[in-house]
Amino acid sequence: MNIKQTLKENKSLFLKKWFQATIETYPKDSARILGKDANRFDNPVGAITRESLENILDLITDKYSEESLEKALDPIIRIRAVQAFNASEAVSFVFALKKIGQGILDDSHQRQFDPMVDQIALASFNKFMKCKEEIFLLKATESKRRVHRAFERAGLVAELKENDLLGSKKS
Amino acid sequence: MSKELTPDEALDKINFTPKSGNWMDTTPSVQIKPGMYCYAAKADSVKTLGLPNARPWNPLEEDWKLPENWQEILHQGIKERLEKFRTFKIFMDVCVRCGACADKCHFFLGTGDPKNMPVLRAELLRSVYRNDFTTAGKILSKIPGGSRLGGGRPLTMEVLKELWYYFFQCTECRRCSVFCPYGIDTAEITIMARELFNLVGLNIDWIATPVSNCFKTGNHLGIQPHAFKDMLDFFVEDIEEITGVDCTPEYQKKGADILFITPSGDVFADPGTYTCQGYLMLFKYLKDKYGLDVTWSTYASEGGNFGFFTSHETMKRLNAKMYAEAKRLGVKWILGGECGHMWRVIHQYMDTMNGPADFLEVPVNPITGTVFENARSTKMVHITEFTADLIKHNKLELDKSRNSNRVITYHDSCNTSRGMGLLDEPRYVINNVCDNFYEMPSNTIREQTFCCGSGSGLNAGENMELRMAGALPRANAVKYVHEKFGVNTLGTVCAIDRAALSTLCEYWVPEVEVYGIHELVGNALILPGEIKRTQDLRMEPLPGMEEE
Ligand code: SF4
Ligand code: SF4
Repeated sequence: MNIKQTLKENKSLFLKKWFQATIETYPKDSARILGKDANRFDNPVGAITRESLENILDLITDKYSEESLEKALDPIIRIRAVQAFNASEAVSFVFALKKIGQGILDDSHQRQFDPMVDQIALASFNKFMKCKEEIFLLKATESKRRVHRAFERAGLVAELKENDLLGSKKS
Repeated sequence: MSKELTPDEALDKINFTPKSGNWMDTTPSVQIKPGMYCYAAKADSVKTLGLPNARPWNPLEEDWKLPENWQEILHQGIKERLEKFRTFKIFMDVCVRCGACADKCHFFLGTGDPKNMPVLRAELLRSVYRNDFTTAGKILSKIPGGSRLGGGRPLTMEVLKELWYYFFQCTECRRCSVFCPYGIDTAEITIMARELFNLVGLNIDWIATPVSNCFKTGNHLGIQPHAFKDMLDFFVEDIEEITGVDCTPEYQKKGADILFITPSGDVFADPGTYTCQGYLMLFKYLKDKYGLDVTWSTYASEGGNFGFFTSHETMKRLNAKMYAEAKRLGVKWILGGECGHMWRVIHQYMDTMNGPADFLEVPVNPITGTVFENARSTKMVHITEFTADLIKHNKLELDKSRNSNRVITYHDSCNTSRGMGLLDEPRYVINNVCDNFYEMPSNTIREQTFCCGSGSGLNAGENMELRMAGALPRANAVKYVHEKFGVNTLGTVCAIDRAALSTLCEYWVPEVEVYGIHELVGNALILPGEIKRTQDLRMEPLPGMEEE
């Protein structure tokens, strides 16, 4: 069996362990609640985390690129980028996969699996930085845009184009 | 919903009883993290209001520059408030730590920080109360390790910093109170905590400076009367370009029927500005058709009240000017714009603070004859109640097709829904001006609505991570209706929401845009004598006019 088939066969085990490891990055008392399989609107972090992890596992058992990995990582990283994690804590959950693999895969499969995890990790760094940049942009421009732009339309302030404040992002 | 857990199941392993010894250790001693806290109040703003201990300080520094006797001041402050506010005393005493509220707070759900569980947030202060104000606590505190045994702890600097950090991570939204079997309202506890902080000069700037501006110039942004008028003049020009109708309003008109007051965000910040144009059009329509005489005031130029997030006294000072202006102008009653916390102040506090406003008349809609019984004492009516009443009596001519490109859902502002029960009127108006309305899931709307994450003065820039984390439960539901029904519009009747939800959408669901309800009314309303409209109020082509 090749590595992708093995991963596919063991997907639910991987998912269970990976989800547990990811939720355990939260403080213990929070993890007990966020780890429950509750209604997705009552527990968005739990639900979105589970979905993202599953999508990533599906992706690596199939064809994938840096771009598709980043897309699958977006929902979970987007959340972790606004929680009180530092950068390494925010993406640490990816590395848990290596250890999980060791308990499930044989040595030769593990050797093929590790570089795949590295690729996920690299994509997660990229995604984390992009989310942080979005946050910094919102921080820097939010109130200027909302108030300043209204005044500008009314001709009450000297011309300062929205794009000067913003770059290309729409409001 | 079948998988929904009962609180007992969800919390089976957590012991919220402080006697178990370790609840305060769920996270290491407080670390004030960038992105999660707001900057300190500027000394000038604190000084303007005559509040104590105006000085520059920084929450990240070790020394918060408190008066030497800060513990005594806070102890006395707690004591006075326990005597004055029965709710505070009860809320300090009756929590049984059942945990039903624990997973109901958007900040807990979004940040994953256990001290954002309402029960633990309240416990931060309750532990001090228990130590200093209960007999058991007082006795226990005399033996080594005794306080801890009784779930109490002395008010040290470390404890104060923790209180400050977490009570500025609560938007006073009251969602937790809906699920508490005892009706404990953690928002009220936060309100008390913030009053206490103000006694020793620990406000945040995003609250203190707007309050000081409002006190000096009449609105949170500190915009002077002539600029207020300039903005409305500019809206009038835009509306004339779009509709061919001149909607010039009245200012400070003595003897008008109604004084209209809206949050200044509608006049000065996008996208509230378009909602403001909707108001101007509605008043023009009512004047032409029915002779209704509405006046604006450049003095009472703020409906919002950030004093509410400071102290009862400050809230009262800001609230008073609306009534002073109504009295001066001799109007019959006050109509208020689309806002959230403005209405909580009016509905829950105004009457005991500055009321009864018996120099005004019980609000009656002169066009329909409807008596607004709910406003009998405060004399102030929310514009969606007013507009819903007009529509119900067939008094408005509306062309829904002009909003047919809007697939809309509605966000209940915490304050209008849980604070005053305004649930159906906005939906009724939306359904009469739009065809494509879809509700978000039932556990995220109406009384159970999730906060925008930026209420109660927390809509600053520096705490963006906190705001976006707190916004997650709301955004998650918006995203769901966006994906399922193609929703592209998030409607709201709150000025803070119009700004905060716009940012929420940019980060979480960029395909969705935020609209005030009266912007949609303005688009649909057929003004007497209007030209053929090709643009909406944002000057985008109307549906079907894209090619012309
Ligand atoms: S009032 Fe709202 S923000 Fe505050 S603890 Fe309760 S649910 Fe959380
Ligand atoms: S639901 Fe009420 S009684 Fe139960 S822990 Fe929360 S505040 Fe206490």
